[in-house]
Amino acid sequence: MKSGRWTTQTGSSTYLSEAIAIWARDLRSEFRTRYAVNAILMFALTTLIAVSFSIGSFRIAEAEKPFLYAVLLWIILVFSALSGLSRSFVKEEEAGTMDVLRLSARPQAVFLGKLFFNLTLLGALEIIIVPSFILLMKYEIELPGFFAAMVISAGLGLGAGTTIVAAMIAQASARGALFSALSFPLLLPLMITAIKGCERAAIGMNTTGWPEVRIAVAYVVIMIIMSLFLFPLIWEE
Amino acid sequence: MIMYSLKVNEICKYYSTTLLFRDISFELRPGEVLAITGWNGSGKSTLLRIIAGLVRPSAGRVEMHVKDEAIPKESRRRFIGMVAPALSLYDELTALENMEFFCKVRGVSCHRQDCLDMMDRVGLTEHVDKMCRNFSSGMKQRLKLVQALIHNPPLLLLDEPGCNLDSKGIKIVEEITLNQRQFGMTVIASNEKREVDYADRIINLSE
Repeated sequence: MKSGRWTTQTGSSTYLSEAIAIWARDLRSEFRTRYAVNAILMFALTTLIAVSFSIGSFRIAEAEKPFLYAVLLWIILVFSALSGLSRSFVKEEEAGTMDVLRLSARPQAVFLGKLFFNLTLLGALEIIIVPSFILLMKYEIELPGFFAAMVISAGLGLGAGTTIVAAMIAQASARGALFSALSFPLLLPLMITAIKGCERAAIGMNTTGWPEVRIAVAYVVIMIIMSLFLFPLIWEE
Repeated sequence: MIMYSLKVNEICKYYSTTLLFRDISFELRPGEVLAITGWNGSGKSTLLRIIAGLVRPSAGRVEMHVKDEAIPKESRRRFIGMVAPALSLYDELTALENMEFFCKVRGVSCHRQDCLDMMDRVGLTEHVDKMCRNFSSGMKQRLKLVQALIHNPPLLLLDEPGCNLDSKGIKIVEEITLNQRQFGMTVIASNEKREVDYADRIINLSE
């Protein structure tokens, strides 16, 4: 081995550059292992097909459809997310890579990297599931712009909420049960808002000021800011 | 040489009500190598993890200084390189991808050629594009050494650095320790006589 220092130049990294590096590495790992994608997509597609077959055989009154379909859509999205989004942190714990990540990156950057990764997965999930749901269920939406904004903003909230809970449960023994149990009360206000928003978008009710979208965006902002403060405490021993 | 120093003040560690060790104090300056020895379960790895900031001590303090100015705890890890059996790399990435990742998160400007040079120094040139899951335990150990050194840390923590290594690998560890003497501090946790012999001072946790 040659003597002397290593030839690399120590520079400075920003939170964003560290977060992007973690996000890119998670994406690359996921692309190779399909660790979370399989869990989320399989759950989402089987639930979607089960729902479309079982609901399709019943005659649902037109007036009830907007609410019922909004409920079903968000049940599919939330429970699909719960089936796989914890894995961003759990796989680090299982592979024994938590410590090397703790030594290499700042806690806030780790949180942001994992958040970006979960949002990427959720984005892919929504791109596949939402149009499929609309087609299979013949879901008529009067205000597609408002509907899209609702799905995107609530999706961001779903990602932010599940990422911080995933970090909390990663080192626990009964992770699966704990993830659902802790996430559910945290996501309930968002879920109710999203259902209400999607129902209003389907009916075409007066949505001046997009109140549900604003609530979801506020939820996202609060959740991310709180997580950035809390995550270092969770990330430490 | 920038004057870094490590101060460990009266560190104690309990697990539940079981005392692992207590009142461990020492100071380390650039060029010094400290060995920590002791029976299995005496807390060698735990002490290293406490120094790295991965585990909180039950009592006592760990401080790192640069030119007598304390480095905040949250920044300390960036001045530390660590190799330990429990510290794994990413199996689903290649050796080169692993190193590129650690360079990026540590803010080290590192081109492919730099990574290849680093791999060459630990004898992994022919394996840079292989997935780490296909590596032998000795090859993984060599890669962990690169990971610990890419940012030229002033403090190097080596927990059983020679484990799983062949004679060539052990020679690499020896050279790394000698190199580090010129630029920084090293703490080695081991019971291997050969590794303990690198040290200027020894702390035996079993005493």
